[in-house]
Amino acid sequence: MRKKMFAAAALVAAATLTLSACGSGDDSSSPVSVVSEEAGSDKAATVLDQPFEKPDLVLTDTKGEKYDLRAATKGRPTLIYFGYTHCPDICPLTMNNIAVAKKQLPKSEQDKLTVVFVTTDPDRDTPAELGKWLKGIDTQFVGLTGDFSTIQASARTLGISIEPTHKDKKTGKTVSVHGTQVVAFSPKTDAGYVLYGEDATVDDYTKDLPKLIKGQNP
Amino acid sequence: MKRSSTGLAVLTGAALLLAGCSDSDGSSGGLTVSGAYIPQPVSADMAAGFLTVSNSGATKDELTSVTSADGEVTLHETNGGAMEQVSRLPVPAHGQLVFKSGANHLMFDKLKRTPKQGQTVTVELHFAKADPVVVKMPVKSATYVPKTGH
Repeated sequence: MRKKMFAAAALVAAATLTLSACGSGDDSSSPVSVVSEEAGSDKAATVLDQPFEKPDLVLTDTKGEKYDLRAATKGRPTLIYFGYTHCPDICPLTMNNIAVAKKQLPKSEQDKLTVVFVTTDPDRDTPAELGKWLKGIDTQFVGLTGDFSTIQASARTLGISIEPTHKDKKTGKTVSVHGTQVVAFSPKTDAGYVLYGEDATVDDYTKDLPKLIKGQNP
Repeated sequence: MKRSSTGLAVLTGAALLLAGCSDSDGSSGGLTVSGAYIPQPVSADMAAGFLTVSNSGATKDELTSVTSADGEVTLHETNGGAMEQVSRLPVPAHGQLVFKSGANHLMFDKLKRTPKQGQTVTVELHFAKADPVVVKMPVKSATYVPKTGH
């Protein structure tokens, strides 16, 4: 499972590089190796050789106030995840895993860590809905909502592909899409330098958070 | 080919381990249900449930619906980050239908109460051929992950 996840993360990272290369007119589609993880490693973290720039994202927080991601999280260890509250499985599991690991840090370090949940379903996830949901997980977590195309564009800069909420053609039910990675940003460089896939556990985050808070490689 | 056989081996190993914890098992004919659990959800609006249906018989069956007195239950497949509701899922002969985190899951909508760790939620599994199976699904911690033996 782990190995598969690494491969997926590497693919996504490579895809992102390919996408960002489009702007420069470079058509090269040769695979780009960006993952410094050794093969066969059992680590949950994938350390990127080419870190992501923090998205220039201004949205609305759970209090209904303007939240400028770069300004609010400058120089702070930050985890970002794209998900939605009507998600039964992976979104609450991912956020709860981080919440449980965070509670094992000393209080001062807990206060340093910023965990940002950006909704992929802004129509249903109003500031109030997001706030209610996150309060059930960790009261310090930041929840952001706003214009979907803005959210989608910023996710894309992190190699995370999301689609707008839509009605399933067969069942007529509402379908939303969550991201598959948590991106950790360094307090030293403000760059997104570590990825965690869906199968990262509480233990993985518990082991890695003290290092991420210092901007070190897990 | 090699990869798929490894995958199968892992699944089988997990099923054997899960079958060892008999807190939630139910059975009907050649079908047995094991490893059922619900991670404690954030609210009553939405919860996920997981279990494995094993078929020891030589005929295939289908899970056609899941009902519960506690709320609406639907069957979902996950493809990448997208969930898709399905109306039925196959239970192969001498095989398994596996619901697990990140893949197939039962989805509970609008539960009457928020399930808390230590409680159980009773569901009834309906099949195309076999008789219904009642399963008491224990509510585990929000971060519970079944041990899969690796």
